[in-house]
Amino acid sequence: MLGDIGTLVLQGAMISAVYALIAIGFTMIFGVGGILNLAHGALIMAGAYLFAILVRETTVSWISIHPVIAFPLAVLGIAGLSWGLYQGLVRWVEENVVITFLATVVVAVASTELVIYWFGSSPIGMTLIGGAINLEPYGFNARPRYVEFAGFVVSWIVIGLLWYYITNTDDGRSILAASMSERGAQLTGVDLHSVRSKTWLIAGALAGIAGIFLGSTGSATPLMWLNPLALAFIIVVIGGIGSIKGSVIAAYFIGFLEQFTVTFIGQGFRGILSLVVLVLFLLLLPQGLYGREFVHD
Amino acid sequence: MISTILLFTTVLSTVSGRLDTAGSAVQRFAQTIGGTARRRVLLPIGRALDRLLAPVDRAFEPASNAYNRLLGPYFGAMTGLQFALILVSVVALLTAGVWAPAVGPLVGGGLLRTLALASIWAIFAMSWDIQSGYTGYISFGHSVLSGAAGYTTALLIVHVDPELSIWITGPLSVLAALVVGLLVALPTLRLEGPYFSLITFVAVLLFYRLTTAYGWLGGIPGFGDPDVFTWDPVVRYYYMVIPMLLIALALTFMARSNLGMILVAIRENEAAVSAAGINPTKFKIWSFALSSIPMGIGGVLLVGFTGNVDPDTFVIVDNSIEMIAMAVIGGMSSILGPLGGAFFFEFLNHQIFHGFSTPVRYLFLWGLVLLVLVFARDGLFRMIWHRLGAVRGESE
Repeated sequence: MLGDIGTLVLQGAMISAVYALIAIGFTMIFGVGGILNLAHGALIMAGAYLFAILVRETTVSWISIHPVIAFPLAVLGIAGLSWGLYQGLVRWVEENVVITFLATVVVAVASTELVIYWFGSSPIGMTLIGGAINLEPYGFNARPRYVEFAGFVVSWIVIGLLWYYITNTDDGRSILAASMSERGAQLTGVDLHSVRSKTWLIAGALAGIAGIFLGSTGSATPLMWLNPLALAFIIVVIGGIGSIKGSVIAAYFIGFLEQFTVTFIGQGFRGILSLVVLVLFLLLLPQGLYGREFVHD
Repeated sequence: MISTILLFTTVLSTVSGRLDTAGSAVQRFAQTIGGTARRRVLLPIGRALDRLLAPVDRAFEPASNAYNRLLGPYFGAMTGLQFALILVSVVALLTAGVWAPAVGPLVGGGLLRTLALASIWAIFAMSWDIQSGYTGYISFGHSVLSGAAGYTTALLIVHVDPELSIWITGPLSVLAALVVGLLVALPTLRLEGPYFSLITFVAVLLFYRLTTAYGWLGGIPGFGDPDVFTWDPVVRYYYMVIPMLLIALALTFMARSNLGMILVAIRENEAAVSAAGINPTKFKIWSFALSSIPMGIGGVLLVGFTGNVDPDTFVIVDNSIEMIAMAVIGGMSSILGPLGGAFFFEFLNHQIFHGFSTPVRYLFLWGLVLLVLVFARDGLFRMIWHRLGAVRGESE
């Protein structure tokens, strides 16, 4: 029992760290542009596959880079992809919420077909860091892998940096301003278009990191974008749309809730409890934990 | 690690600035090209078309005038050309059993099968549209409704009596779709725009997980027990196309009535609707009911078409998005748009792109949908429809 709880805390903390990365990117784009990016899951998937291309000898025969170099390369690549998605598609339709919505979901579905076309539908495994530690001598019935620890650490470093960037640099504060009031931001000389481009870059980088860790702890599959997208939505609603602090807290809440369900109730109920919580929040506290009323302008 | 990530952020923001400048240059260039193309190519073609089609319009005008007097108030008025288009399409669909086997080999074969499938998807696309296209509450979860109907049929046959006739399972399945539709509608319609859409999206994922997690719902292989209606392709086609045409007729009638107008008003300005003393929630529930019933009928037809009820045919989220894609290609918030879009989509999928593998076909199709979303928001069929209506410079 004690071991179970220990495992729960350990695994919950690690998976929650990745969830937090996913949700922050999603909420930033919604907070700043009012755009729901349903292709966010596809970017996560792209991160996993790009990393797989870079590190595995078998995916593309002539590329095989050491994971430490491949990691930043893949993250940069996905950030660029996300930026390209904004510039190539979303900015042309962003004034119409419904069209943006449909366009990004079509991109997500098309990405599934593209992945199946290029890599087939079978899962692809990859490693960022190999190895695991055995905690059985310490009374835990768990073998957490080093990559899970790395995910936890990297997640917090990235969140810390992002927090610093947003609250302490002019560049970052313009993002914060745009998410509070677009007109107010414009009046103080913020270029909204470049702020939006920047949020897409940052969200892409976060999705890339999350994708690499999801791919390295599980594997990359053509449908791996579905669950992260649903999770991002649930977390963002609970945390409050546009709030980074709320996203982190809600990510840990949902991560632990899922781990709890898997450990004590059963694998089949994984998403159901989260959904119940989502519905409760939507009905009782629709603005979320740290949400604020949007300033209409 | 920290320094690497800081370096990224710096590099990323510099690069983004540079690329933005490049982007606006490309944009100017594209606008110039687009303007020239419009003046030099599209306008002359349009004028030539007008000259060709105007006599047809004139020829059909007496017929369309008679129609407008009799049925126009119920199903919408048409010009001569629009009337001709509808007449030709309906006659073509009703006589497809005769001509399709002959034409089929020219376009890859199996044309009747494609048309039958397109009829089912047209029902789905129209049902989606009467709810989502008209009210602006975009549902990503409509496949759950057809899934509810399909699974009800299968479960009745497997667990109650394998000999049950379609006259019992059919209505019960449609009822199940309606019940599920209202179950989704009641809690979610309190939500606005994106919240509503995403919760329907999560609902599909959940339903999919249920079908695979519980043995009594058949798991991944699903149920092979329901019988197909018939193996004869011609008869099968008529089983699909006639309900489709009836549903199209009924939905057009609804959409042209006050109900349709209120639904559009909800999309445009919900606050104004309630300020006018109309309860929007009541009408949103109506739109859901109006959408669930044909979804259920479509689900029953799909069981009769494939004879197999499984998550991949009925539930997966791609299905819901395919319905949306058809409505988008044809033109959202119209009834004939999604109908035309469904036939166009399926025709491309199964006849034109016949030789390609499934992922490639869908890549083409999703690409097409994106192009329509960006460049022709009103949809191809609505565009053609209005163009035909304006041939003699009457409307617009």
